[in-house]
Amino acid sequence: MNITLSDDLPVMVVVGACLLAGLSFAFLILEVRRMSERRPWLVWLSGMLATVALLLAVLRPARVAQTSAGLGARVTFLFDVSRSMDLESTGEGRTRRERAAALFPQLRAHFGGARQTNLYFGRGPARALGDSSIQGLRPAAESDLIAALRSVAGATEAVPQAVVLVSDGRFDRPVGEGLTTELDSALGALHAPIHTVMLGGEAVADAAIADVRFAGAVVAHQPVVITVEVACTGGLPCGEIPVFLREIHAAGKPVERASGTVALKEGRGTIDLELVLDRAGQRIVEVAIEPPEGDLVAGNNRRLLPISVARDQVRLLHVAGRPTYDVRALRRWLKADASVDVVAFFILRTHSDDVAASNDELSLIPFPVDELFTSHLPSFDAVILQDFDARPYGLSKHLRSLRRYVEQGGGVIMIGGPNAFVSGSYAATPLAEVLPVDMRGVRRDKAVDFASFAPRLTAAGRSAPVLEPLRALIGDDFPDMPGCNVVAGVRPGATVLLEHPNRQIGAGKAMPILALGEYKSGRSIALTVDGSHRLLFSRFAAGAAGRAHGAFFDALLGWLMRDPRFEPLLLAVAGECFAGVPAQLRVRSVFGGDGVPMQLEVTPLTSGGEPTRREVVVPKGKDAVTVEVGALAEGAYSAVLRRAQHAIPARLDFACEMGGREWADSRPDAARLRQIAAHTSGVAVGPDGVDRLPLPRAVDVIAQRHVHPLLPAWSWSLFAAMLLGAHWWSRRHGGLS
Amino acid sequence: MDSLGLPHVRRAFLRRFACAFAASAMLPLSEAHAFGDAGAFNPRILLTGTSNWKGRRKLAPARWALELVRRTSAPARVSPTLVAADSPKLLAEPFVIWSGSAPPAPLTGPELRGLQRFIALGGTLLIDEHEPERGLFVAAVERELRRVLPDGSPITVGSEHVLFRSFYLLGGATGRFQKADKLKVIVRGGQAQVIFSPNDLLGALARSAGRLHAFEVMPGGEPQRERAVRLAVNIAMYVLCSDYKNDQVHAPFLMRRRRTGTK
Repeated sequence: MNITLSDDLPVMVVVGACLLAGLSFAFLILEVRRMSERRPWLVWLSGMLATVALLLAVLRPARVAQTSAGLGARVTFLFDVSRSMDLESTGEGRTRRERAAALFPQLRAHFGGARQTNLYFGRGPARALGDSSIQGLRPAAESDLIAALRSVAGATEAVPQAVVLVSDGRFDRPVGEGLTTELDSALGALHAPIHTVMLGGEAVADAAIADVRFAGAVVAHQPVVITVEVACTGGLPCGEIPVFLREIHAAGKPVERASGTVALKEGRGTIDLELVLDRAGQRIVEVAIEPPEGDLVAGNNRRLLPISVARDQVRLLHVAGRPTYDVRALRRWLKADASVDVVAFFILRTHSDDVAASNDELSLIPFPVDELFTSHLPSFDAVILQDFDARPYGLSKHLRSLRRYVEQGGGVIMIGGPNAFVSGSYAATPLAEVLPVDMRGVRRDKAVDFASFAPRLTAAGRSAPVLEPLRALIGDDFPDMPGCNVVAGVRPGATVLLEHPNRQIGAGKAMPILALGEYKSGRSIALTVDGSHRLLFSRFAAGAAGRAHGAFFDALLGWLMRDPRFEPLLLAVAGECFAGVPAQLRVRSVFGGDGVPMQLEVTPLTSGGEPTRREVVVPKGKDAVTVEVGALAEGAYSAVLRRAQHAIPARLDFACEMGGREWADSRPDAARLRQIAAHTSGVAVGPDGVDRLPLPRAVDVIAQRHVHPLLPAWSWSLFAAMLLGAHWWSRRHGGLS
Repeated sequence: MDSLGLPHVRRAFLRRFACAFAASAMLPLSEAHAFGDAGAFNPRILLTGTSNWKGRRKLAPARWALELVRRTSAPARVSPTLVAADSPKLLAEPFVIWSGSAPPAPLTGPELRGLQRFIALGGTLLIDEHEPERGLFVAAVERELRRVLPDGSPITVGSEHVLFRSFYLLGGATGRFQKADKLKVIVRGGQAQVIFSPNDLLGALARSAGRLHAFEVMPGGEPQRERAVRLAVNIAMYVLCSDYKNDQVHAPFLMRRRRTGTK
């Protein structure tokens, strides 16, 4: 029980009353000293009692009755869930993450009396663990301790009295060693000790790719310097280590693009390798080292880097079998576009032509077919074969190379004419496998249809972004075409955007006029007419001021080059893809969701393993969804998303790494954890030292409080009046006034 | 560009054509062409006002097409057509020849608009003077073209222009006469869209029904006629391939041949 004063008194009144009482005592003492008469003690006593009674009448003391409870301190557990926690904890036969998961109940029990908050961190602010287990969480591609500490300090709930950090100490942020300014600031904001539990054990012998750097954008056909840093730790003796750069694509074995040997000094060394990638778009490059004997961590000897290769200019090879207005139209557009670097070869003369002149009088040069389709072929982003007969000009023997070129990411457009498709000797050739149309069974003497017609849009054509620029200019009606090449059908997976209005290929299907297809890492287009120049120059073209031809080919070329403007669906990896961890892909529909089911297929790029299939639906009102595609092994993959059987698919090449940058240094960083603990008056322990972590003091919390006056206010006043009267009598009796 | 031997049906076709050539009449045809033919070179004759196309040069366009087919891989319409300047068919194909001797009548509004649209879409117009000594036709056409292309002024180009190496390596222009060995052109968007031939090119090409030359070629005789045919082939190749022979890949070959003095 406590005594308090009346709670309606301002502090100044209390102070004033006490001062007055003190002053009264002083005067009383002075008066009593001057008294020589009888009984001065009576004056002294009555005066003192009267003054006290007056003071109590003002202060009115009260009795306080309260009950309180002891409450546990607030403790926050902060678990590191970055990918480095999936490395083995030395000597324990389990990973650091598994060790952390095993520690969790121990920590909870040790801090049993405390109010516990369970958080984990990786990239960005710390998040609540909730009901998830530490092992069930997706590993993060980085560990940002600064962001995690700041989020704990800035939380709306009370700041914890202690933080327990469970980690291997290998952070991506703070960068550098020791107590950086950034770390000091983040630690200071918490105003609480940070106890650290260090996982990982001792460093093991390890040769690793410590870093891979390249400056700026990677541009197709232009060399870029890739700096590879190699490190040997844990006492592994390393002299020279071979390094390789390989491009991975759907065509089979990875293609070695560069290699070298790095010499290590004091356990570290770097090497600059020049890499040239010919195909634009997303490419997967493997960086690998050959580690010396004794290397105990194999997962960091290889990196798989998805590199977005930009295009300075689209470099095209335009080959035409004869000069026509169709060739003229396409050439004029190609030459007018500054973003296109075109190398053209037109057959202007055959040996049967009678030029009536010697070779020196002609401006003609030999068609370098062997040179073009062997050594120079990879330097082109796409090849246009326009009304070109493969056989007489020696192209037939290079069709296998052309197929390989598409397999590795190149693009091919075949444009119709009397010397194209079946008439151009392409049926049953390696290139026929690449083209999106099927030429099997078409007789050479019936390979051309001379009937005029206007191409008709298919359902896929109406919704395809690749035809949108053209349709914006001319609508859905196309100019008459003077016949077409006959094809037997569409290859599996190809998309028909324009079809013949009258000619069938069986089963009620119209013959394709414009078809688009994917073939391994590359793309191909088949246009079976030679009248597209009528989009540039004709009465029809005049309606759009001749711009329709450019809009048509700009979009076709853009699609071939994977320009995102012409992709109806966009795919991206959600977060990071680590081997053995369920991977997630983000599917975005450019036009928003419509609830139509789509088929997603994820296939290994090289090994040709079984594809993983998922049905994807972007609901109405949303424009993106995330799809889990299961745990994938380390490697490069191709994800193809198809909206309908014959719609243009979206494609993404991506890689799943074992550890990525997180495994670049496999050693735990105990020193960093000890520094953090020491700086915040915390305690640093190993996984076996949880019991040594100090328990923060519990807090008392008042549950109930009652205030009762000792006496009613009137009784204090009555006592004071009576005692004042007595004092007055004693003064008079003692001779005082 | 050379190629390997090509078993071709064109020779047989040409023999058949040669028989029919004399009897062929130049009639305006429909725009519907067979597959592979729609993009063929067609040296159409442009008609303005009340002009018509008859006389000894009537078969010159057909001869031009025939020479193109005989000498090159380019397809050509061996029965070329006539087209009026105010006809919508002017926009059917990107080449037309405006030829004459007397000053043409001033262009009517529809003719003016037709030619403006033809040029705006990228068409190529060849102006051929029948009487180079007088030059009245070309001078009058230049006046009319100032109405069609107010911002287009002719410039003179010589053997350095791609027109003179689009198939044959030529030293200069020629025709039935040798009035000028350079050509005047109006360039738009980097392309010579109007070409002035002051030497009566069609006169050098013209043949009579008996396959005899319709005109003497002066002063160079038959060698000059051959050069005129080559110029016609080059103009056709320029129309079909534009500046293809300006491509860098051709440069070393052409420089080497030019240095040998070949014309």
